[in-house]
Amino acid sequence: MAEAVVEARGLGRRYGARSVLENIDLDVHAGQVFGVVGPDGAGKSTLLQMLAAILRPSAGTCQVLGRDVRRDPAGVQARVGYMSQGFSLYDRLTVAENLAFAADIRDVTGPDRAVRGAELLRMAGLDRFQHRREGQLSGGMRKKLALCANLMHEPPLLILDEPSLGVDPLSRRELWRILDRARTEGRTIVFATSYMDEADACDRVLLLRDGKPLALGAPQELRRDVAGQVYRITGPALDRIEAALETDVGVISFQRRAGREVRAQVRDGSRLAPIEAAVAEAAVPTMEDVFTFASAPPPAPPGAASAAPPQPPPPRIRNDVIVSRGVSVRFGDFKAVDDVTITVAEGEILGLLGPNGAGKTTLIRILCGLLSPGEGTAEVAGFDVARQSEAVRARIGYMSQRFSLYPDLSARENLTFFARAYGVPRSQLRERIAWASARASLENAGEGAVRDLSGATRQRLALACAIVHRPRVLFLDEPTSGVDPLSRFRFWRLIAALAADGVGIVVTTHYMEEAAFCDRLGLMMDGRLIALGPLTTLAGELGLATPDVEAVFLGFIERERAGQGRAA
Amino acid sequence: MKARRVLAFARKEVLEISRDRFTMGVALFMPLMMLFLFVYGISLDVDRAPLIVVDHDRTAASRELQARFLNSGYFVLQAAPEDERSAEHALMRGTARAALFIPPGFSARLGRGEDAPVQFVVDGTYASTAAILSAYGRAILHAYPEEARLPLRPEVRVWYNPQLRSRNFIVPGLFAVILMAFPPLLTALAVAREKELGTIAQIYASPLTGSEFIAGKLLPYAVIAYAELLLVVLGGVVWFDVPVRGSVGLLLAVGLLYVLCTVSIGLLVSTLVRTQLAAMLTALIVTLMPAFLFSGFVYPLFTMPPAFQAYASVLPTRYFLEFSRGVVLRGAGLGDLWPNVLVLAAYTATVFALAAWRFRKRIA
Repeated sequence: MAEAVVEARGLGRRYGARSVLENIDLDVHAGQVFGVVGPDGAGKSTLLQMLAAILRPSAGTCQVLGRDVRRDPAGVQARVGYMSQGFSLYDRLTVAENLAFAADIRDVTGPDRAVRGAELLRMAGLDRFQHRREGQLSGGMRKKLALCANLMHEPPLLILDEPSLGVDPLSRRELWRILDRARTEGRTIVFATSYMDEADACDRVLLLRDGKPLALGAPQELRRDVAGQVYRITGPALDRIEAALETDVGVISFQRRAGREVRAQVRDGSRLAPIEAAVAEAAVPTMEDVFTFASAPPPAPPGAASAAPPQPPPPRIRNDVIVSRGVSVRFGDFKAVDDVTITVAEGEILGLLGPNGAGKTTLIRILCGLLSPGEGTAEVAGFDVARQSEAVRARIGYMSQRFSLYPDLSARENLTFFARAYGVPRSQLRERIAWASARASLENAGEGAVRDLSGATRQRLALACAIVHRPRVLFLDEPTSGVDPLSRFRFWRLIAALAADGVGIVVTTHYMEEAAFCDRLGLMMDGRLIALGPLTTLAGELGLATPDVEAVFLGFIERERAGQGRAA
Repeated sequence: MKARRVLAFARKEVLEISRDRFTMGVALFMPLMMLFLFVYGISLDVDRAPLIVVDHDRTAASRELQARFLNSGYFVLQAAPEDERSAEHALMRGTARAALFIPPGFSARLGRGEDAPVQFVVDGTYASTAAILSAYGRAILHAYPEEARLPLRPEVRVWYNPQLRSRNFIVPGLFAVILMAFPPLLTALAVAREKELGTIAQIYASPLTGSEFIAGKLLPYAVIAYAELLLVVLGGVVWFDVPVRGSVGLLLAVGLLYVLCTVSIGLLVSTLVRTQLAAMLTALIVTLMPAFLFSGFVYPLFTMPPAFQAYASVLPTRYFLEFSRGVVLRGAGLGDLWPNVLVLAAYTATVFALAAWRFRKRIA
């Protein structure tokens, strides 16, 4: 057996009386890729910081590269490569200067240094940008550079805190190509992620939730443990299938997937009750399924679930609530949004997908009336966004990536504030808040301060705040970032219910699998809309057999690049 | 501590600072601005105080006394009413700061060689101004009869600042205060910024030690702070025409030591806080406020209760302030002021060591 690079026993960390991580036992062997998987607030960063010896454990022991993190933190710090969440390089320094600094403070000298730096930059596709300031790179490029900076001293162990968070699919592939290379060089990699597909690619994973270990093992073992408990259900009426699953007490959770199918996880020992006019077949469990099982709540009393009855609306004429024609906006020389024409109808969900900096957020800002389009026109809820932005803003709801809530106020106080700010009359306050809370499935947020709520609860509260004035159009900017899969799917059901009420919804997301919840997709790159339509249509356009979102996206990016190549 | 790592870190700092022109500009402009504001704003000289004169005597002698007051330059005539009541009103309203009452028969009594009572009233609202005004008034009254009536004629001389120009006293004090105000602020923010942006994580997980980090931060900021010192000394000497009696070289040499000390204090502050806001507030409270109040800059230390005198002795500003005033005003040399230099050196070493020790490479 290979030597243990990390050996932790009963590792835990408390802040005052609050425990953020406890009872972690794990061994990572040389050359392994070890994934720490869990939603925001699970304790992933805390664990990685303790492994990098920059956070003192409050319980247990931990040996890293044969050194005790408590007794010899400097020894550990000097030998590992550690990449924190967010951006850890100097934005005012150039790519080359950042790399040189990283090498300098780690005593990397000699002729190999330049060779290694050049090789890393080439691998990361950054060699052309040596003299660009780090702050002017895209998010994906900054992450790749940070990784390069951590590989300069050739550490035997790499500790990476959510390296691919918020990174576009293309940069994510390149990031993993660098990591695969590091792995073949014999480096051990410990990384945190909330992406389940990354978890699948690990040698071993630790599933964390609320600071407690849920499961530990090789992905295939964990998947094998739940084999036979996952079903793929297809049929003509997905709504009816979902309604049936809703009432089945043996079902832990279910999610609508691309290609008109529903995936359901069933309790151990239970069987899926037959559903009328639907075919259910056993499916091979994925890590996402594993996580759903591992974090499943105890069985609920029958009939208690039902967050929002998804009654399909009677077919009627659907008016367009968003109409944009040739909208463009420039910041200096830079075209942030370039000639975008879209429509969104009542009750429709339009998903905007694209890497960081593609123009998604800018487009949403234009449609919200926060930014005037330089060219083109846009109407939202029947009003012109440039000339009647006040009227537009009264009729839309907006939920940002960061859930703009007041952390020191309670859920109810936040709701009351947003309702009053949107001009809900005092007499209707109570009723509106009750309605929004029910719609956002916010039954037990309580009176405690928002900062103590879980990420998933905060997310639903932010939704409630965005809809308390009953908007006709709802904009959601990465609403599910960093939330565990179970809560994410639950959130999407709430969105579907709002759409069923006739609200037009525009949503941006990084999670490719979430595209399946959208009626239509808009793929954005460099400010332009490079594809627009239902997923199956887009897949058909590229001649793809299966509607895999990531493949569709990469296909359109390549087509776009090829087109640019011809044009140039 | 490895010199190569320190230099690498300092080089990174220089690159960062040089690309933040705005902060650089502010860093160099603010000290000059403070110098100008304070020299023009704080004047301890009392002159042109509005005076009310009530002259019931109306003789050549009474007019001569009045003229002595006005010609001194310390008083200007506000009004010369007929009665005491209007004088009282003027004092009450604050339009006059002092009043002189000359009773009838003043000149006649003087002529007979008798005591001639004269009343001089000073508004005591501003205690220090009142004390100075009453001293001026007493001096003028004592000197009034030409022929000396005292057998003993004291000859009082003011050394080191014969014109009693308060500017000569404020400017060298400001050298000490300004360098305690801005350099620590810069360094306190510089480390807190790395904490806020998250770039500190990279430092934590590297072989860089606490003292290497602190030294690397200290060097470039010490250079900026020294440039601030040169600017304010230049401003004081050239613009405000403050004569430097002692050695300018000595002042600038010990100034370097003081600058290292104040920059280190900022670094120590920054190791204790997490955010730039907290760094700024803490730096203001531990540096600027005590430097202003407890250094002897305006308020003399010897009048303070012993506890406050002890507090003032804990702060480095007083030592450089005494040194700076000593060199500039009295022309003192190292032979007179070596204890101050020794204290500053020890202080700098201690603060640096504390900061390096406090800079734990730990998140929490």
